[in-house]
Order: sequence, then C-alpha cells, then structure tokens
Amino acid sequence: MARFANGKAPYLRKADDKAYGTAIIMRDFLIGLLPLILFAWYKNGLQVYLDGNIAFLEMFYPLVFIIVGGLLSTIFEGLFYVITDKQVRTLKALGTKLQTSFAAIPGILLAMILPLYTPIWVLVFGCLFATIIGKMLFGGFGYNIFNPALIGYIAIAFTLTGVINAAGGALNASEILIDGIAGATPLGTLSAASTLNYDALVTPYGSLWNFFLGTIPGALAETSALACLIAYAWFVFRKVIKWYVPLVFVGTVFVLSWGIGLAAGEPGLWFPTYSILSGGLMFGAVFMATEPVTTPRNPLGKIVFALFLGAFTVLFRFVGSLPEGVATAIVFMNIFTMPIDNWTAIIRSDSPIQKKTWLRIAVLAILFLAIAAYGVLKSGSDYATMIVTSPLVRGLF
Amino acid sequence: MILHKAKGVRIDGRKQMSKTAPLHEFLNPRFVYIPLIQQASPLKRIVEVGELVKIGQVVAFREGFGAMPIHASVSGKVTAVKKAWHASGRMVDAIEIENDLLHTPDDAIRPEIDPDAFTKPELIEKMQNAGLSGLGGAGFPTYIKYKTQCAIDVVIINAVECEPYITCDYMLIEQLPEKLLKGLKYFMRAAGANRGVVCYKAYNTGIEAVLKPFLAAYPGITLFPVKDIYPAGWEKYLVQQVTGKSYANLPSEAGAIVDNSATAIVFADAVEKNIPLISRVVTISGEGVRNPQNFLVPIGTPVKDLIQQCGGYAEGLDPAKAYYIAGGPMTGRAILIDELVVNDTLGSVLVFPLPAAKNHPACLGCGQCADVCPVYLAPTEIQRAFESKDVEGVKALNANKCMQCGLCSYVCPSHIEITDFVARAKEFARKGA
Repeated sequence: MARFANGKAPYLRKADDKAYGTAIIMRDFLIGLLPLILFAWYKNGLQVYLDGNIAFLEMFYPLVFIIVGGLLSTIFEGLFYVITDKQVRTLKALGTKLQTSFAAIPGILLAMILPLYTPIWVLVFGCLFATIIGKMLFGGFGYNIFNPALIGYIAIAFTLTGVINAAGGALNASEILIDGIAGATPLGTLSAASTLNYDALVTPYGSLWNFFLGTIPGALAETSALACLIAYAWFVFRKVIKWYVPLVFVGTVFVLSWGIGLAAGEPGLWFPTYSILSGGLMFGAVFMATEPVTTPRNPLGKIVFALFLGAFTVLFRFVGSLPEGVATAIVFMNIFTMPIDNWTAIIRSDSPIQKKTWLRIAVLAILFLAIAAYGVLKSGSDYATMIVTSPLVRGLF
Repeated sequence: MILHKAKGVRIDGRKQMSKTAPLHEFLNPRFVYIPLIQQASPLKRIVEVGELVKIGQVVAFREGFGAMPIHASVSGKVTAVKKAWHASGRMVDAIEIENDLLHTPDDAIRPEIDPDAFTKPELIEKMQNAGLSGLGGAGFPTYIKYKTQCAIDVVIINAVECEPYITCDYMLIEQLPEKLLKGLKYFMRAAGANRGVVCYKAYNTGIEAVLKPFLAAYPGITLFPVKDIYPAGWEKYLVQQVTGKSYANLPSEAGAIVDNSATAIVFADAVEKNIPLISRVVTISGEGVRNPQNFLVPIGTPVKDLIQQCGGYAEGLDPAKAYYIAGGPMTGRAILIDELVVNDTLGSVLVFPLPAAKNHPACLGCGQCADVCPVYLAPTEIQRAFESKDVEGVKALNANKCMQCGLCSYVCPSHIEITDFVARAKEFARKGA
C-alpha cells in the first residue's frame, strides 16, 4: 500500500511546461517592446547625434530614460511590499514576490509614452502614481482595475504638462529646428486647426509615410506605426494578445474618422489614415487595449471593449479639449471592464439567446451607436467648411 | 467565426506507451470486489457471505432509475462484504468473491440460435438483463437511451478516446473488430436506426484498417474519422459532426444515440451468447508504471494485481510525489491509496510523477479559459460570481452547461484551478435555488 499525492483534475497542465505560463507571456510582452525602444533610440538619439545636434553620450538618453522608468517602478513596488507585507522580510522573499508581479512593466511603458524632455523627477512622480496608486493599492498584479502606466501618464498630463513643456517637451533637438512644425505634435496641430486640410495637418511633417515610419514629433517611443506593427505580429505569433483587438480598435477609429471627414466635407482617405497614424493610437491599440488584466477576458467582451474604445477615442480626441484621446479613452473604458465582461459572458454563453439577453445586446448596441454618432456629427460639424448637415441637426450640437 | 468556432485543443496523446504491448487477458485475479454502487446510486446486494456464485450470476440489483441486475465476474465463493476504493474517489461497499479459477458459467449464459431474429423490445430487454452501462466513463444505463420516445436515425459508436494515455478502446477494437460491427448492428436494430457510424481519431488508421474488410457485410455502417483535438470524444461534438445538429440535453433530441465502442462489443456477446457485462479493458499507463499495457479483466479486479503484471511502479517512483489517477488525466480523479478496484466505468489507471514545482502568479486575465471553452462559458466570470455567492449571477452565466472537460485549467498560464471553481459554482447554483 502506498499513499499517493492529491490534486484536482485535469492532472496535465500546460503551465507545468517550462516554455509556457504567465511569466513567459510577460517575457514575450517585454520582447515586443524592443522594436519600439530601439526605434525611439534611433529617432531621438542616434539620428539627432548624426545630425550633430547633441553630444555622443546624450545619444543614449532615451534608453536611460526608459530603463530608469522600469527601475523606479520596481523599487516602488519592492518598497510597498517591504512596508505592507509581513511575509516579505528577507531579500529572498522579496525576490520571489517581484518574480511573479512583473514590477518593471508600468514604469517602462510610462517612460515610453512621455515626451523626451520630461524631467526625471516628473518620471519619479509618474512611476510612483503608476505603481503605488495604479497597481499596488488595488492588490498588485492581476487585481488592478486601471492600466497602471496610464494612471501615471494621466496624473502627469493633468498636473505637470507645463513643467514638461518648459523643460523642452516632446520635440528632440533636430525636430525643434524644423520651422513648419512650430513646436507642436501632429495632434497638437489638429486641435488648433479649424478645418481639415492636408497641407496644414500633414505637409509640415513630410507625408503620411513619415507618420507610418514614425519620424514625426511625438512621445518618446510611440510614434512609429511600423514598430507597433512588428510588435503586433510578434504578439500574435506568440499568442500574447488576441489578434482582433487592435484591429477592431484601430478599425473603429478609422471608420469614425472617415465619417468625420465626410461630415466636414473632406472625403479623402488621407484623413482617417492620418487619424490612426498619429498620437498614441497604434501604441495604445497594441500594448494597452490588449493589456489582459484591465480589459475583458472573453472574446466577445474584448471586441465590445475595442469598439467602445474606438468610439471614445474619437470623442475625446476630436470633441474633447485634450489633444490626445487614447490614454483617456482606455482608462475610462477600464472602469467598464467588469460590467462588459459580465454582460458579454452572458451573451456569449446563451444559446438559444433568451429575451433578457437580447435586451443586453440592444443596450450595448444603442450605446455604441449613440456615442459614435455623436462624436462623428459633433466634430464633423466643428470642422465643416460648409454646412453639410441640415440646420436643424446643426442646431442640436 | 471568432465567437463560435469549432472548439478543441490538441494535447500530446502519449498513447504509444500502452500500445506497444498486446492486449493482455488477465482473467484470474485471486479475489474480485464487485462495487455496490453505480453512478451515484447504491446497489442492493442479494447474495450472502459464504454463498457460491457462478460467472454471470446476479449478485446485486440497481434500483430506481436505471434498474438492472449486476453480475458476478468470476466463479467462486462470496467471502466478505468489504470497503474498497472506487473510481469515484471514495470507499464503497463491495462484494468480495474468492475466485475458484474454474470459470463455471451461470445457466443463463448460452448461445442464441438466431440472434438476428430479435425484435426491438427484446434487444432492449437484453441490454437491461445484461446490466449494460456505458463503458466510456459516464456509466449511464444503456437501455434507458434506447427507450427514448424520439425517432432515432443514427447510432454513433464513440471510439475517439480523446484523453491522453488511454488506449483501451483502440486495443479492444483491434482485437475484436467484427464484434464491434455486430454490436452496432444490434444497437441499430434496437434503436430502429438505419445508419451506424463509428467515430475515431483520424490518426488511428489502425481502426480503419481492421474494420474496413468487414464493412461490406454490414450495410448502413460507415466510418467517421474526427480531428485530433480534445474533447473530440464529447457526445455533443460527435453528434454535431455526424448529424450537423445540436441538442439541449440528450442526443436523441437530434435523432442520435451515442455508445462507447466497448459497450457495443459487450452487447454483441450479450445478444449472441447472453454474456452480461462482467469484464472490460483497462489501460494501465503513465510514466510511473514500468511496462504500460492494456488488460482485459473481470470487473472487480484489484488494480494492484494489474500494476504487478506491469512489472510494478517505475524505478525510483516516490508515491508521495506522484499521481495515481482513476480515469483519464483530464477528467479522472486522484486516488490517494492504491487499493482501487476495477468498476464498469474505469477505462484507465495512470501513475505519473507530479510536475516540478513552479512559482505561479495571479490570474492575469488573458481569457484563454473562455477562449477554449467548448460550451462558450466565461470561467473567470463564473468564479467571480461564485466567490461573491451570487446564485443568480452563476445561473445567468449558464454555469450548468459546463461538462468539466478540464480545458480551462489545462490552458491556464497561471495554473489556477478554474475547472474546480466552475464545478463548485455549478453545484452551488443547483443547490442554492
């Protein structure tokens, strides 16, 4: 007679494999950031050095900035554990804790979406906000409601934008010398524009090709759509994210932006293309809208989430007073992750679909259409060179 | 489509382990222990300690739903009523019979002269008298399926064996291919169906090879290979693949009856020779067994005897750091003490070492569990509703649809016991109303 071990079915687990598991997913996520980090270094470091606008050592500043962000987050998280968790009293215990909480990620992401000349103390403030308030106060990895990096970003954007601009802002030493840009990022230019005009919006930065490559002014590492696409392909290949989430998100913004263009009498496809290539949309779609902890879990939920994200991004970007809509839209939608997850889980598991479930579907559909329609019509009429909608509809907005 | 695509996950089969050795007949255990329980219903014993019994003699009755007789699997003397470990993970009462090694058959076991003459009700009665229950794992009384009011158009033989390690159905079919077709023929007659389908995994070309030569003599019977995914052997999946129809509760709603291949083989004997359900094939496999193989054994055989026949446990196996599983690795049950006895639903016993310990993070919300769920549930949502004791919430999330295939736990990158949560939530919602 021998006593055997107890356990719960199934007794085979993929997670027992060394090459599979949450830690591997997180490692792959960090690898996916590499193309963007390298591009940020090329654009804001190497190229500027080659132009002769900065000194040799200054060239590495973008990399240092991102690494410092990761370090700060790790330090804050470690301190939080040491102070609050009685079990964490030795270095070894702290090590095991940090191993399963992926502490560096919020800081790295935050550093990547801040302007290049953000003072380090502002980064410290942002990382503190991101890690402590955005993540640890909710219970740490897996329990946070909001995307921690975006919490840090929004805290900075609402309070310290002036400080960052005074310190040099987003434009690197080469970009500041270009006359046509007048010190503004593309979306900054857009929010100051009163009409949709290719020559005013795109030409100062080159062409849409520059938007795609990312050689336009913007936050440190989020400008390159190409780098985001490389990361996207890697993530899909490694199954880190669901392939359809960024597509639905970006697709919604594209369609709605096109609608705005049409409403404003600018039917060209350049405008929606410009819209999805500028700002943090690509970055947000690949890295933030797919962030597993703070977005819905079931496939239908992810799609609904991405749809609403698109609608709110358009609303915040074109109607709201902030130049950048993506970060706000994602954090705003994070609030609704739980109800969306619950509703879509019910809808998805129901077959045949019951009456009550149809009601839920109808509510979601009406909400989406209303928000999308409002965003399109309102901003479309704002940019309109001539009144394309009837005076009555015009009067409503 | 993304939302409702055909579901399943490819899992490393590990089947070759137990396929190398031929099917081993082990008909002479010293003692057998006939468990006095079937599914969840206790059986009524009708033999006393000291009584002599013959092979096939009725020793107990199942009463109420699925009432039928249970038979002695060896001839000999009833020596005790003892507790024995059962595949359900509990100790149950069992009739201990000391084998006299004479193989004396009961008078009821006699060949039929014209088995093809039986009518539908007669065949169904034979199922009941043979104590025939599903040998695939659920142990559902077979005759109940055939007493349906629905018109049956196809009988599906399930020889898919989608769980890793298990090869008992495959080995038995390889041995007795024609008997399978005969059993299916009788099943079709009992159901009034003119179509019979044998489902097996497409890579199991051996099944096709052994069945093909006989097919011409059995009109209406076709072979149906299915994809190598888990859970391809799930009843609903097979019915959907074969008929294209879906159903809510029972396959008969879609005009189908699904039976395990081993059940069909036993039924062929029950019709032609009046041999009741007294033996079955068990796979003994896993990295913790020295020579994995399949055994044809009388029901009630102690699994210990079979492990001994396999050469014992693998060298250096530490039982405290190994699983001993009754059933498949996905849906089976860990048995703590290796005193298990073979019952009608036990298709395999697996012994393998526990995986190396790993430091697992919390749920990251990746949603893979919802992604792989064959019935489109959202396990994490069900867990959340369950943890906040929300009966209505669990019900609204259709937790009752879960059939505990185990895929959500299998794919979870954070090693969360999510299948167990859903199972408990299901139970909670059932009771909580």
